[in-house]
Amino acid sequence: MRVARGNLLESTREAFARLGGRLAAVILIFVVLGLASDVFLTQNNLLNVLRQAALLFLIASGLTLVILTAGLDLSVGANLGMSACLAASVLKATGSPFLGVLTGVASGLATGLANGLLVTALRIPPFIATYGMLWVLHGLSYYYMAGDTIYGFPPGFREIGSGYLFGLPVPIYLMFVFLAIGWLFLERTTWGQEVYAVGANPVAARLSGVPVRRRLVLVYTVSGGMAGLAALVYLARLNSAEADIGEPLLLPAIAAVLIGGASLFGGVGTLGGTLIGALILTLVLNGMNLLEVNANWQPLVTGAMVLIGVLLDMWTRRRAEEKS
Amino acid sequence: MTCAEQSSGAPLLALHGIGKQFPGVRALDAVDLDLYGGEVHMLVGENGAGKSSLIKILYGAYRADSGRILHQGAPVEVRSPADARRLGIAVIFQEFSLVPFLDIAQNLFLGREPRGRIPGTIDRARLHADARRVLRLLGVDYDTRRLVHTLGVAQQQMVEIAKALSQNARTLVMDEPTAALSENECEHLFKVIRQLKAEGVAIAYISHRLREVFELGDRITVLRDGRLVKTLLPADTNPDELVELMVGRRIDASYAREYCGRPGEVALEVKDLATDTGIKGVDLVVRAGEIVGLSGLVGAGRSEVARAIFGADMPTRGEVRLFGARVAGGPGEARRHGVALIPENRKREGLALILSLRDNLLLAALFRLFPRTWFDSARATRVAQEMIERLRIATPSAARLVRYLSGGNQQKAVLGKWLNAGCRFFILDEPTRGIDVGAKAEIFALIDGLVKQGAAVLMISSELSEIVHVCDRAYVMREGRIAGELGRDSLSEANILRLAMHEA
Amino acid sequence: MHHRVHELARRLAALPGVAYILVLQAIVFGSVAQGFLSPLNLTNIGTQATILLMLALPMTLVILTEGLDISMGAVLTLCSVVLAWVLVHGGGIGLALAASAAMGLAFGVANGTLVSYLGMPPFVATLGTLGMAQGLALAITDGQSIVGISAQIAFMRADVLGIPLVLIIAFVAYFFVHALLYYTRFGTYVFAIGGNREALALAGVHARAWHAGVYVFAGLMVGITGLLLVARTNSGHPTAAFGMEFDAIAAVAVGGTSFERGEGWLFGTLLGVLAVGVMRNGLNVAGVSSSLQVVAIGLLVIAALLIDALRRRA
Repeated sequence: MRVARGNLLESTREAFARLGGRLAAVILIFVVLGLASDVFLTQNNLLNVLRQAALLFLIASGLTLVILTAGLDLSVGANLGMSACLAASVLKATGSPFLGVLTGVASGLATGLANGLLVTALRIPPFIATYGMLWVLHGLSYYYMAGDTIYGFPPGFREIGSGYLFGLPVPIYLMFVFLAIGWLFLERTTWGQEVYAVGANPVAARLSGVPVRRRLVLVYTVSGGMAGLAALVYLARLNSAEADIGEPLLLPAIAAVLIGGASLFGGVGTLGGTLIGALILTLVLNGMNLLEVNANWQPLVTGAMVLIGVLLDMWTRRRAEEKS
Repeated sequence: MTCAEQSSGAPLLALHGIGKQFPGVRALDAVDLDLYGGEVHMLVGENGAGKSSLIKILYGAYRADSGRILHQGAPVEVRSPADARRLGIAVIFQEFSLVPFLDIAQNLFLGREPRGRIPGTIDRARLHADARRVLRLLGVDYDTRRLVHTLGVAQQQMVEIAKALSQNARTLVMDEPTAALSENECEHLFKVIRQLKAEGVAIAYISHRLREVFELGDRITVLRDGRLVKTLLPADTNPDELVELMVGRRIDASYAREYCGRPGEVALEVKDLATDTGIKGVDLVVRAGEIVGLSGLVGAGRSEVARAIFGADMPTRGEVRLFGARVAGGPGEARRHGVALIPENRKREGLALILSLRDNLLLAALFRLFPRTWFDSARATRVAQEMIERLRIATPSAARLVRYLSGGNQQKAVLGKWLNAGCRFFILDEPTRGIDVGAKAEIFALIDGLVKQGAAVLMISSELSEIVHVCDRAYVMREGRIAGELGRDSLSEANILRLAMHEA
Repeated sequence: MHHRVHELARRLAALPGVAYILVLQAIVFGSVAQGFLSPLNLTNIGTQATILLMLALPMTLVILTEGLDISMGAVLTLCSVVLAWVLVHGGGIGLALAASAAMGLAFGVANGTLVSYLGMPPFVATLGTLGMAQGLALAITDGQSIVGISAQIAFMRADVLGIPLVLIIAFVAYFFVHALLYYTRFGTYVFAIGGNREALALAGVHARAWHAGVYVFAGLMVGITGLLLVARTNSGHPTAAFGMEFDAIAAVAVGGTSFERGEGWLFGTLLGVLAVGVMRNGLNVAGVSSSLQVVAIGLLVIAALLIDALRRRA
């Protein structure tokens, strides 16, 4: 056990080193916002920010795994929406939080599995496959909801999103739990090692005996599952469900992953980075709100951050290539 | 008649004293080549003799480090393909320069389309008329509106030649043009070449088929080790003599082996293997304790055989037995049977460059070392460190990204990956390519050690001297088949080359 | 001549039959839905498909270069909003159209630069610009529709010689792009960029500028299409064309243009647009909700891609 703890310390230290720049950015934004707005440093606001970031992290964590394999899952937003609507109906119909949770997660997993099969069995490029899935889910959600809103969920269920535990919102605990699980998966299982290899060089991975297709199906399924989980948290927080609640989350999720340092080209990235990326994005958007910038500018800022993230990644790669 | 007596006047294009150096390798050393109008000048030599480098300098893909190029007696610089084009030099590529979904006329005049009246438009009538005219010069009458992807290989080649002619090429360079052609198509190509000769075009022609070297060539230049061996007339020589001239590279004795003698169990048995990557029926046997070579010219199908054995490509016919068990799956199954493939292109297929040395070394051994999926990072680092020491990989630490290692160390990393996986049969595809002499010796020593402990090795190499000095016996491939097997006594460079080339 | 006919026959035979799909749809919807085959409804299909055609035409060019432009819907929305805004603030139709075109052009230049000069994967680049266009549209309109321009835009509803103006515009656009693709150097290079970029380099052509030009052209066409969108909805709505690029991609894919290798034909896109348009109209008349229609189109794309893959294996 001593060895394990030693390793945990080591890898935390390593993570700090790698993410140093981004942590500095977080601190910088903190300071700037703290100075610019009186409301920023209030407990209410900070908890809000953390809660938002936690939710974003939940959805972005699964997406991180997919991006690690040099893929993309554009259906996460629509997946969240669909799963939320289905879970909401079940919750209203049965009054059972357990069944609601089960439905949400199952729906997310099913979509993820479908994506994985489209990519591996039908060999459809990931962005096209998940893009098509986005629209299919979008259409199904709208049809299913027929313009209605479902609201009023059992209080037991609502704890997931709006509840507090020892003064901190529940989603934050969920965030840490999944950060830990995700870290364990990526750093302490052979599957995690293989995921990195598939992203870094799928050809070499295959020729080393790695079951590439099986790992791809795995990451897409997990991404879907996390979307389903995030749907439940969202549902619990909003206490209502509409067909389009997931749509605005796609861009921020991608932005969070890319800002966190993951590369679209695969093999590079960590969940810790995604967490920080989610924090940075949430802080920026929160700052915009507090400074009373028109909310309509937010998609623009997010889109710009995605582009900047990709450009940064490409620049980093080019520099590394020139050095070798 | 000597060469000097045959030439009538000055060569159209003359290369004098051409030298080209790459890091660690001297590709060309003071090579002369005279191309006369109306002549087919054959370039022959074994793999790596420098033929490719020489013609790349001719058409401007490389720049020579030393020497001069003379065009019609006047010195010129060929710094780029555009320069070469301006001098009337054209290369016949097989795959590189046609756009599949444009028609023949558009391909012929890509970038030089005749303008229409409205700026930016193309005068299609003139485009097709010009195209038809050029094709007729070659005695060919394809419909110029056909999309190029509907043409067969031979026809595409004709279009390439037409393209060159339409650019008023007076010197044509052809690299193994008959490799993918049928007998009839070859005959047609030769007819066209003779016609071009009659019009005074100079042709540089690389070939491995001795039959066509003598049938079509007016002059033959033999290269070896980047140097000019001899330029002769076909009438003054014969195939055997050519082969003798081609072989005989400097021997690097530092890796000569001692032989263990008795080979053990059968590690690999291949019967009638065929694939759609060009293998047409191959039988092989490799036993534990021996190093078997797989030789042949580039394109003969050696790497394809290796991939098919390993399961990277699916065979269409035949059977592969690894240690007696019939296998029909992918690389994972091969690995489970203890088989390793060290690929030709180690950066693209053997390593994940952006990952660390440790991660690469563990990549094939994950299941074996951590069967219950739990990945013990400390143990992984230990295992990696042990392998680094055992193979003497030069690196500051196991965490170093593999892309920063030298070629030799990268190759050791690939080998280490498979050693960690506990393999007993190693398929090595060009294991010493791009590696300096010192590392080469180390790698051979490693392989030798493995074999002494009972491993089996199938080694693909384009360096004849390697095959001769390292292998117990060797198969020679030619055009997708095994042309022959050479045992200890008959294993010589000349014998290998004879079997590898198109000779009776 | 012979070979052109052969090509056409080969294409039609090789497709799952965009033509067959159309015929099938005509039969199915004609029998199931009342009034589907009436001249009024058919003209309806035509006019509704014009916007899709205006998007699918440049999308064909983009896909031929092995790229994709998913920002089209958002940029179209933005352009229509800009156009409506200018009209509402007293600008003439000419100025409004110019503004719309300029906005489209700007995004086209952005996309072209990101993809061709900076080497970004087209999907990600246009995803980013999509977000930015969406944001801008929301910011300008503050989430509300811009109305009160019906009078200024009414002229678009006119008929010329009995044919709706928008249909004429669509056909003019088709013939223009057809000429562009098959009769100009630009068109030749579009096929080359997707089919064999090295060939262009060997021919001494600077592919980057032409590659960027494809996206710039797409942006310009989207800008012009803003006029048609405003005419149809009589307003500038911030989410009007949301997702239209999906229909455009579907139309191009179903029409037989491949996502790789520079393989495709423009006429196929026209048929694809008809197929998608008929599907939507038919489902509408049959009472199927618009959300499910999207699902149907999604499945249509997957089917088209599957057939593409199977054809390649054969």
